[in-house]
Amino acid sequence: MATTTQAMRAAAQDTLTRPSRSLWSNALWKLRHDRLTIAAFLVLMLLALISAGADFFAANIFHYTFERQDLLHTYEKPQFANLAFLLGSDEIGRSQVVRLLYGGRVSLAVGFVAALVNLTVGVSIGLAAGYLRGRVDDLFTWFVTTLNSIPTLFLLLIFAAIWQPGPATLTVVIGLLFWTGISLFVRGQTFALREREFVIAAKTIGARDRRIMFRHILPNILPLIFVLAAIDVGGIILAESALSFLGLGILPPTPSWGNMLTGATQYFVRAPWLVYPPGAMIFLTVLCLYLIGDGLRDALDPRVRGNAG
Amino acid sequence: MHHPRSRRVLIAAFAASMLVATACTSGTPNTSASPSAAASATETPQDGGRIISGSISDIATMQPILVNDTASGEVAGLLYAVLISADPKTGEPKPNLATFSASSDGLTYTFEIDPKANWSDGKPIIGQDYLTGVLAVGKSAKTVRKSSFTTIQGFQDWVDGKADTISGIKIDSSNPKKFTVTLTKVTCPALLQIANNSYTLPTQVFGKYVTKASKPEDIDNAPENVNPQVVSGPFTFSEWRKGDQVILKKNPNYFKGAPHVDEYVFKVVANTAAITAGLKTGEITYSTIAARDLADMQTVDTVKIQKYSSLGYTFIGWDTQSNAAGAALSDKRVRQALAYGIDMDAVIKSVVFGEAIAHVAHHVPVQWAYPSDQSALNPYKFDKNKAQQLLTDAGWTKGSDGILQKDGKKFTMTISTNSGNTERETLAQVAADQYKQLGIDAKAAPEAFQGLVTKLTSGDKTLDATIIGWSLGTEPDPYQIWHSSQIPDPAKNVTGFGFTYFKSADMDKAIEEARTPSNGDCSTAARKKQYDTFNKILNDEQPYNFGYVPNVLATAQKSLQGWNPQPFSTLYNVEQWWIKK
Amino acid sequence: MRTFILRRLIYAIPTLIGVSIITFAIIRLSPGDPIRLYTFGARDITQEDIEALRHVYGLDKPLPLQYLDWIWRVLHGDFGQSFIYHQDAAQLFIQYIPNTIQLALVALAIQLVVGVPLGVVAALKRGTWVDNVVRVFGVAGHAIPSFWLGLVMIIVFAVQLRWLPSQGILTVGADQWDILDRIKHMLMPAVVLSLTGIAQYSRILRTETLDVLGQDFVRTAHAKGLRERTVIFVHALRNALIPVVTALGGILAGLIGGALVIEQVFSWPGIGRFTFAAAIAKDYPIIEAGTMISATLLIISYLLRDIAYAIVDPRIKAA
Repeated sequence: MATTTQAMRAAAQDTLTRPSRSLWSNALWKLRHDRLTIAAFLVLMLLALISAGADFFAANIFHYTFERQDLLHTYEKPQFANLAFLLGSDEIGRSQVVRLLYGGRVSLAVGFVAALVNLTVGVSIGLAAGYLRGRVDDLFTWFVTTLNSIPTLFLLLIFAAIWQPGPATLTVVIGLLFWTGISLFVRGQTFALREREFVIAAKTIGARDRRIMFRHILPNILPLIFVLAAIDVGGIILAESALSFLGLGILPPTPSWGNMLTGATQYFVRAPWLVYPPGAMIFLTVLCLYLIGDGLRDALDPRVRGNAG
Repeated sequence: MHHPRSRRVLIAAFAASMLVATACTSGTPNTSASPSAAASATETPQDGGRIISGSISDIATMQPILVNDTASGEVAGLLYAVLISADPKTGEPKPNLATFSASSDGLTYTFEIDPKANWSDGKPIIGQDYLTGVLAVGKSAKTVRKSSFTTIQGFQDWVDGKADTISGIKIDSSNPKKFTVTLTKVTCPALLQIANNSYTLPTQVFGKYVTKASKPEDIDNAPENVNPQVVSGPFTFSEWRKGDQVILKKNPNYFKGAPHVDEYVFKVVANTAAITAGLKTGEITYSTIAARDLADMQTVDTVKIQKYSSLGYTFIGWDTQSNAAGAALSDKRVRQALAYGIDMDAVIKSVVFGEAIAHVAHHVPVQWAYPSDQSALNPYKFDKNKAQQLLTDAGWTKGSDGILQKDGKKFTMTISTNSGNTERETLAQVAADQYKQLGIDAKAAPEAFQGLVTKLTSGDKTLDATIIGWSLGTEPDPYQIWHSSQIPDPAKNVTGFGFTYFKSADMDKAIEEARTPSNGDCSTAARKKQYDTFNKILNDEQPYNFGYVPNVLATAQKSLQGWNPQPFSTLYNVEQWWIKK
Repeated sequence: MRTFILRRLIYAIPTLIGVSIITFAIIRLSPGDPIRLYTFGARDITQEDIEALRHVYGLDKPLPLQYLDWIWRVLHGDFGQSFIYHQDAAQLFIQYIPNTIQLALVALAIQLVVGVPLGVVAALKRGTWVDNVVRVFGVAGHAIPSFWLGLVMIIVFAVQLRWLPSQGILTVGADQWDILDRIKHMLMPAVVLSLTGIAQYSRILRTETLDVLGQDFVRTAHAKGLRERTVIFVHALRNALIPVVTALGGILAGLIGGALVIEQVFSWPGIGRFTFAAAIAKDYPIIEAGTMISATLLIISYLLRDIAYAIVDPRIKAA
């Protein structure tokens, strides 16, 4: 989990720094042949769809809300007889399958929103540091080195333990903690790009810094940022689930895949079937995101031709 | 996960007259007889073996005056013997290391330490050692027990540095084991406060830290606090493997006789599930288990389970000054409706698997202060119609959305509890669910214990309803929870546990009369009369929904003999425990 | 080399100042009052008692002053007294380090021993099912929630099969030096902790080996009649050394952060579990000491990594 930044850095290192106009079309052509990535993408879409449709499924198929309790039917085994208990019921007779759907909604939302925050922060800071250099870059280097000297997950857990933030704050904080890898990458790319002809040309015709950064440099890095974003969302979902599992992230009664496992250590002897599905969902989601990230990276890497490998 | 459960509960959970707000507790009435205790009496105890007790948190210190949590209390209690103990069944004061007698005016207590009682280094335990303990409390900057000793004459002068010693503690010139303690005023809890709430400390070890010139940190940071070599209890200290285990060896010099077992190990595990697992495999000799594991544990034929009602209860505290829903909770009828409107028996069944009894006032069945005439109290049997009627009387009617309204305001309520405590989180959700059926827009909101505590004691009135638990002490005095002087008021710089903001002059009077009786009568009968009045007022006013008193499910290996845990103590006879091979 | 190390050490100073500010701010600005937490339920506690305790723990001063006071003491090696344990915070924390290091080293060893051959073999068997399995594992190892895997392993190996203990570091009564008992306790947490690293090393080694396979010297070596396997191993490993060393820093950070979660699941008495409990209990000095010491350890290991880097990559030495 904590190696997300590492993974991103690795991703960045593995990629050539030369972007080109035909990058996208090239990549898409390669992606079409990468069945694993396509499958991962489809599975992820499916997960997102069923999570988004949680209300619909709960009302029309399972006829059970996520908060509904049934104290007479606690620890029901998974069954087809009562669809609401398709995956069993928990310690207060809530439907595991319905909570799984809502949990996905929460986990995915936290993952994507936090990733958006950290991409925004990471890209802006990275661009500024790489383009403006000098004092700005010194400050940047100092700050990133400092943050990287405290293991990110460690810092996050400590923060969550003593602040005990709500879901919104937590999302933003995760976003604000996980940006260093992205900004380091963007900074490196910007360093290289600012000496290129098209940037120098833009400068000579008097374009302003902000325009050059966002109009000329950013589009050239954008494809690779997508790679980082996919990996990033995965890392955040993992971090959120660990936090929620420890009782620090999303708190019940709001279900999240992580907090559905919070009680697991208490009841796994009695109801082991409650332990497997939430973890499997986290695993599947993050796996898909990482596979997509990998696939995209291979597709964008001019060294790799045809069947990535 | 348990982490939050493994979170240490930093509350005073000490031997006797301490109140404990438990972050996790279990407990209820009916003491069942112990078959094992009866059986073992007929057999000859075998020496040797090891007792392993399971805990979910590590100890913090072994200095009795600094102990402020249950785990440290257990170990400190095994190392240092108290002067006066509480009867394990009734909680009444009983001679332990010393005998005691009170003067007729109730102001002076005379103690005489057992002639056989020696420190583990062979030196006799004397009155001077009691003085050393009290001097240490006065010196320490970090202890939380100072206020227990403020009634001793001259204690404050010692604290303020105006005296060389404490004038109220006098050692008999002819018998160093005999001493008297003089108080400035008669208070009924005093005996337990001065003689059960702390321990005698070996003067040969700690004397040098409590001279007039000593600084507070001398005693607070004394190396012997974490490595006590001279002790008075049934066990001596061997090793503290941090975060893992504390190893104690038997004390052959223990004044009640050397323990049968060679070793007592205090083992730290991750959570209650790990305790259950350890009891099953035999890795843990005895502990208490969670109600959810009872059914499973009953199928294990190597363990025995002893149930007894706990010395505490889990409740929903109403903030009677909460602005939620237009001050609905300030209305007694509404609070009564909230009592009638919750099916406590069903709640008990689901939350603690039936291992509790419903509770309707403050004192719990195992305490002598528990009202013997229960018919005087309203049992608030589940009655939805009555609840609805009371709400209607109070002016609350259902709107088109099915939610109760009054003067255009909807009845909304947040039920908070400390996150990480599965039992309470479940209770909060179940309660919210039941109140919804009355038409109240109730929702459960788990929150970190630390945040909850700060809000409760600082007069921040943002919590409508809070589920926590009290572990009550040996001394039934409810002053700190229910006296009006204990209502937090930041404006007046007052803190306390009166977070319902409920007050009643009659209740105050009953509490005061039982604490510092105007006629000086501290007899149980006289005090109990006051507590009957007190409990009746609470029962009627319902500032809490008093929730339930859980059962303690003490569990031990069948091979453990002599073990017979009681509501007020488990370890009172630990030297007689033995392992059957 | 000496100037290189010296320069790096000087750079570490502003970093540590940064860490101290972040740590202090996160901890001391947090809501909730530790003194109220400690005194909740204590009998006869009064507002004056609370104020007095606050003064004893230095919590009554303005924050910037608290910071300066704290940093001054830290420079003298004094992190303050733990609120709960009433002992020197740094000394307490240090006592838990060996347990975490043991776990981290074993995990690191598993990572190298399993991850490196896995990557090389995958490259050699490129395109076969072996390669595919390793590649999927290279991603899956990162994607699996470690706490959940830990739980599942406990259910299977401790509860159902009863092969391994699920909790703690030693059986009660076992000798401190009972290595076998220790290994039994360490097996599950170390395996779980090593997963991401295995995944990462196998990926790096696979890429590097593929690169080597495509290079001229392999063909030359072939022509010279050297045995293929020897050639590949020697060259691939040499080439892979740099990225492996680079990855080490991140992996160490991952081990420290990951240990925090894993130690909870397996009740391992290491710095993670200890700091976490301290954070929950708002024991400021312990959290501060914990964060500062972990950061220092990490900075040192980054430095060691860079030294190793300089040794294996001559270009850096020249620079």
